[in-house]
Amino acid sequence: MAAPANKFQPRITVLYCRQCLAADAQPFEGRRPGQGFAAQLVLLPCSSKMQVHNLMRILEKGADGLQLVACPDNACQHLVGSMRAGKRLAYAQGLLQQAGLEPERLGLARGQGLSLESITEMAGQRAEAVRPLGPNPLKGVSS
Amino acid sequence: MITAEWKPIPELVGYLRGHQKVLLLGCATCVAECAAGGEREVETLAPLLRMALAKEGSPVEIITGTLERQCEPEFIEPFVPAAEGVDAIMSLACGIGMQLLAERFPQIAFYPGVNTTSLSLREAPGLWTTRCAACGDCVLGETFGLCPVSRCAKSLLNGPCGGTRTSGSCEISEDTPCIWNLIVERAKARGQLDRLSAVRRPKDWSNSPAGGPKRMLREDLRP
Repeated sequence: MAAPANKFQPRITVLYCRQCLAADAQPFEGRRPGQGFAAQLVLLPCSSKMQVHNLMRILEKGADGLQLVACPDNACQHLVGSMRAGKRLAYAQGLLQQAGLEPERLGLARGQGLSLESITEMAGQRAEAVRPLGPNPLKGVSS
Repeated sequence: MITAEWKPIPELVGYLRGHQKVLLLGCATCVAECAAGGEREVETLAPLLRMALAKEGSPVEIITGTLERQCEPEFIEPFVPAAEGVDAIMSLACGIGMQLLAERFPQIAFYPGVNTTSLSLREAPGLWTTRCAACGDCVLGETFGLCPVSRCAKSLLNGPCGGTRTSGSCEISEDTPCIWNLIVERAKARGQLDRLSAVRRPKDWSNSPAGGPKRMLREDLRP
């Protein structure tokens, strides 16, 4: 059963593309607290470095949600990396659905010239999407 | 390559329900090339199955491994210690590799993770198309290197049939080229259309899978 909305603090893993960052933003990896959630930021050289098995492993390890932050489709430094990342994420969502799990725990946001604050806000969007689902039921169950 | 596709996830979950510890084994050869049973797929499927089983209240420990070739006995041996500690094995190899694995561990419950589907070519990224039916009596020398047995929906040896679309596709799908159309076009391009009028001896289907289990023996290679 879902935890009460006021107590549940979703833990969101954010995989973000380095190219999304504003030129003056300092790349950051680690925990960033948000309003009613916690974000764990992981920097990628390109969003396409994310593989489907990475997503599964992150959920299995107990993240309540995962937000992939990628460049706009037409602005990928590697031309098709951002598009590939989007397709992979959609494929992973399909697998979760087939397995009876919640595909909403995975999400994609796109942007350019982002600050760490705006990336954290994107994590917040995922937190709001998973809040109705409650905590990841696999937290502490799988190894 | 031999191509395979994952079985539906609910079917796989059903196989593993009730087991305690399972070894999920991939193969780094053909099924890795077709993105069904290589290391990436093993490491994707294992957490997915663990999560699905844990969610329904029947958690299963799943350990993983990927063999270089599951169809060669010597590659299986390093996994003997791991297999001895499990009560089920699931394989993502083709049907050949799966059976060798099941033969090696006859006392352990065995489940297929994929359906083996065809002998195909990776035509483009993410697209595999059949090229061979292992029919046992190859006709490529008479059909300009294009196989009508595997690539014609009716395996016709005297096509094209009336189902060819004006676009050159087969009536079964716009995405499937009529192979006989391609054969005729290639014959024309070589100025050898008359070769297709030649009377061919009857094809020997007894050497195909329809002729029963195949047993190929080479005495010179035997111990």
